[in-house]
Amino acid sequence: MSKKYGVYICTGCGIGDSLDIKDLCDVPEEEGLPVKTHEFLCGKEGVELINKDVESGTNALVIGACSRRVNFDVFRWAGCIVERVNLREQVAWSHPRSEFPALTEEQKGDEEHFDRVQMLAEDYIKMGMIRVEKVELPEPYKPDTFTRKILVLGGGITGMSAALDASKAGYEVTIVEKEDSIGGYAAKLRKQMPIAADPSEGLISPIVSDIISKVEADSKINVKTNTVVARIAGQPGEFTVTMKKPGEKIPFDVPFPLPEEMKLDENGKELDVEQQHEAYLKYNEGREDILQMDPNGEMFGAVVLAAGWRPDAIEGDDYTHLSIGDPDVITNDQFEAIAAKGKITRPSDGKEAKSVVFVQSPGKEEDDSDFNYCGAVTSLVSLKQAKYVREDYGDGKAYVIYQHIRTPGLQENFYKTIQQDEGIFLTKGAVTGVSKNGGGLVVEADNTLLGDKIQINADLVVLAAGMVPATVDDPVVNLAYRQGPAFRDNDIFDEYADSNFICFPYETQRTGIYAAGAIRRSMTIEESIEDAAGATLKAIQCIESANRGMAVHPRSGDMTFPDFFFQRCTQCKRCTEECPFGALDDDEKGTPKPNPTRCRRCGTCMGACPERIIGFADYSIDSIGSQVKAIGVPSEDDYDEPPFRILGLVCENDAYPALDMAGLKRLSFSADVRFIPVRCLGSVNVIWIKDALAQGMDGAFLLGCKHGDDYQCHFVKGSELASIRMKKIGDALSSLALEEERVTQFEIGIDECDKLPKMINDFVEEVEALGPNPFKGF
Amino acid sequence: MSDRYLAEPDLGFINEVVGLGGDSLKKCYQCATCAVACPIAPDKKPFPRKEMLAASWGLKDKLVGNADIWLCHECGDCSDLCPRDAKPGEVLSAVRSYAITEYATPKSLGKIVNNSKMLLLLLVVPGLWFGLMAYITMAHGKTMDKIFHAVNEMIPIGMLQKFHWYHGPHGDGAPIAHAQFISTWLVDFTFVPLSLAVAVILALGLKKFLTDIHANAVIEGKAEKTDFSVMDVFTPNFLKAFVNVVITILKHQKFNECSENSDRATPHMMLLFGFIGCAIVTGVCVLLLYGLNMPGPYPQMFLKFIPNPLKALANVAGMAIIIGSGLLIKNRLDKTDGTTSYKDWYLLAVVFIIGVTGMLAEMTRIGMPGMPAITFAIYWAHLVAVFNLFAFLPFSKMAHFVYRTVAMAYAEYVGR
Repeated sequence: MSKKYGVYICTGCGIGDSLDIKDLCDVPEEEGLPVKTHEFLCGKEGVELINKDVESGTNALVIGACSRRVNFDVFRWAGCIVERVNLREQVAWSHPRSEFPALTEEQKGDEEHFDRVQMLAEDYIKMGMIRVEKVELPEPYKPDTFTRKILVLGGGITGMSAALDASKAGYEVTIVEKEDSIGGYAAKLRKQMPIAADPSEGLISPIVSDIISKVEADSKINVKTNTVVARIAGQPGEFTVTMKKPGEKIPFDVPFPLPEEMKLDENGKELDVEQQHEAYLKYNEGREDILQMDPNGEMFGAVVLAAGWRPDAIEGDDYTHLSIGDPDVITNDQFEAIAAKGKITRPSDGKEAKSVVFVQSPGKEEDDSDFNYCGAVTSLVSLKQAKYVREDYGDGKAYVIYQHIRTPGLQENFYKTIQQDEGIFLTKGAVTGVSKNGGGLVVEADNTLLGDKIQINADLVVLAAGMVPATVDDPVVNLAYRQGPAFRDNDIFDEYADSNFICFPYETQRTGIYAAGAIRRSMTIEESIEDAAGATLKAIQCIESANRGMAVHPRSGDMTFPDFFFQRCTQCKRCTEECPFGALDDDEKGTPKPNPTRCRRCGTCMGACPERIIGFADYSIDSIGSQVKAIGVPSEDDYDEPPFRILGLVCENDAYPALDMAGLKRLSFSADVRFIPVRCLGSVNVIWIKDALAQGMDGAFLLGCKHGDDYQCHFVKGSELASIRMKKIGDALSSLALEEERVTQFEIGIDECDKLPKMINDFVEEVEALGPNPFKGF
Repeated sequence: MSDRYLAEPDLGFINEVVGLGGDSLKKCYQCATCAVACPIAPDKKPFPRKEMLAASWGLKDKLVGNADIWLCHECGDCSDLCPRDAKPGEVLSAVRSYAITEYATPKSLGKIVNNSKMLLLLLVVPGLWFGLMAYITMAHGKTMDKIFHAVNEMIPIGMLQKFHWYHGPHGDGAPIAHAQFISTWLVDFTFVPLSLAVAVILALGLKKFLTDIHANAVIEGKAEKTDFSVMDVFTPNFLKAFVNVVITILKHQKFNECSENSDRATPHMMLLFGFIGCAIVTGVCVLLLYGLNMPGPYPQMFLKFIPNPLKALANVAGMAIIIGSGLLIKNRLDKTDGTTSYKDWYLLAVVFIIGVTGMLAEMTRIGMPGMPAITFAIYWAHLVAVFNLFAFLPFSKMAHFVYRTVAMAYAEYVGR
């Protein structure tokens, strides 16, 4: 693309009052680029001014005005490269003249005085100019083969609902169910919680049979019972799926990565690459490699994971005080099975169970935690099952002893309805023991609402076993990915299939696989139906984005994708291993095989690559590196006491908005820091920091989101990987005789802009205390 | 095991309390707003929160013999502020109704009194009885007079006043007196033994009641003084507590601490003082009749211009009862958020009818000299109503004045 440049500077919103616009315009003019200013650039006249230039061929525009986070729809031209230089939030607004006074006429030109804010604005314009020079417009990636079919894993209430939703939207669906029939747990109930808007109406008959018949009647839905997925290979838009009977062994069973302990020899030394590969092949003998596509595999565009849950078994020493061995101490699941058959009776002798105690928490006075995987659903189920006792026996009594009873939202009305039953008794309390007493049981509880240590005579005791997501037992998705068949690091979510519960529901760590229902968190039938719709829409969005070469999430619509310069690849596999989404599969030599539709365009591979052979059309080692190099670093040749220069690489998802908000709130911070937004801290290549220090900048920091178990990273692992790389950079710095303290990383939440000024200023002070970079002026 | 409270919900109890106007009891979610809102609950172990839980769990043993349900004056502040509309005030009221029938014997009579379908029976029995009494008085007055003369012959002269069958004016042309319709002797032969029986029933009930509420207070740690036996009620300290409580009641101090139902305090006070006034008048009349042989009806005025204080007191008390009960009835009719059970209506109606028939009997006696039948009929209704009040006192809501007074005295005595 041949570029015709144009620089446009807005003087409104306080920019013109703060800066010497003439001096600022000199910067591009010295480079021979045309500059235009307007006092209201985003207004009709201002946009018209730019439109005219675009019509006459200008296609690489630098807009010096507000943040790129605002007016993005105004400053947008098809086929043009646009760089927004943030003169408003990050120059004028965050550096008030009351604190950073402009120079008087006498001060201008001497070697003692300089205008820090003007220097900041001029650097940002330079950085914007070099960027439009270095980047290109992306050409979208289009897969060779493509299908719109959706695969639904699991034929329960969620899976069936997802299939119906997809079918309604015009997509063909296949449901894979490992049992002999569809329906799932919902088909095993006596009654269910209401699904109407008002849950106070009480229990209703299960709705599942209705849904089953709808699924069976739907010509777009293909149901495969008694079937599981052996492997899912390929990428969104063209997944190749191999199915099999449960328990069967076939060549296209997915290979598993070599466990850590098998990577070592007898002496505990790590095997070399070839030996490891050999061990891997042996470990997966009889299974085809992940890159071997099943010629008989079925093609799917995206997957809805609705494999659901299983009832937890309550066993082990933690629960002996509950007499779990007694036949009349059962789980809520076993109770439901009894209730579905007929009247509530005792398993031990078949007698009527008229006094039933529902235990919600294992108790033991000092501990108020619930059973594992318990939640709102188990609370609601206990209320529902208490009602069964009352339905069966007019003189029946049902007790619910809980530490927490969770009835979110309108379910509170269901709770109220149940509570109204004169034979249902609720109390908070710690169940300290269940014991045999003659023909029945005695439940003892402390710290109850009744104020006493109480005991209750029971015919039957029901324990609230939790809902264990299927992903605890099995990867289920069996992905033929180099990183392994399951979701990575799922343990931080207690193995629920989820990547970011609050911000990005349905998203898993594998693009094109969308989780719904109880595999994501425990859900009622009503919630599962709604959840299925969400995941189905995500699957459709994925298919329709992959088809256009666009990223799905969270950089929706991004048409760039990582480009590899394979001639220089050293097969170090770092990109394969570090990609948070398992987008890269390496071959037996270790050369990465990109799967662009799996990619979320975070750039973690670019940050990881020691050879710097990975880049995007508009985001590359060179584009950012050139911006770093465009920063002016004044030395003693320029001023008696030159100002320090510090580089800040800022995550554009959370940290950059926080910076903008600081400007919006007129919070001021050092004018000696130059910020460059990056897609994710995971994409930061250490070469940029080395370059900055080598050209005389005095320090550098990364500003990104929180990592750890409660990470806020849009790309799961970006800020965590960056922190690992930052630790390693210390060695490199000391070899240059530079202090490690010159480089650091800060964690900031999007809502913590008030913390930014102190964070930045403290670091600047620390660096100033270290003294100027000795490489300055070279 | 032994230190544990065995929670045994009684579904029948729950259903009965619901039927007695406590239909909201299951709504409580134990937020304790009620116990905080209550202006008269003690700081330590306040009510009615714990009573609400016990009620929703059907724990009869924690409620019936619980003094706290009587400390509540149903002022309604708790019900007003309850976020769940569980109406603790109404629930406690229903529990009290239940407790009254628990302590009264015979239970079968209690069932009849509190069953709206049996109301006719409660009216017909005393109606027939007083009909019989009227028949004896009016048809066999002469026979009765002879019997009295014969009895007088057997009493040694000078020991006592001579007994006369006829009290007050009688014979042709005499002004109307109610004794001409039903002899005062027969009225007193009815009510004196009746009152004694009622007193025995109440005493038996109170003995059990005091034992129960003390046991409950000790278990729940509500009493500072933990050694208490029923016989302690005859000690000076208990008497002192009792007097204090009576003063509190006369002043309606507890009632006046309430805000929601404060409009009930004044009518209730009118009723209380109305009944006290009537009791004084009755006492003086008994003294005049049997002590000084001065039967009624007594004149309204002395020498035509000095009001007779006895009559004045009786008239004021009678009016207080009519106005007081009338206002309470109006309050209950106006309130749409409260619940009023048959027991409440029964007592209010009896009291109102006593007041109205009492005053009308007097007015028709004086104002309609030519038509004795009218005033006699009203007097008959008056006697039936009074019979209902006295005879069924241990079973009706009227018993509250006994249990609440005793419970308050107990609470004062043990330092609740």
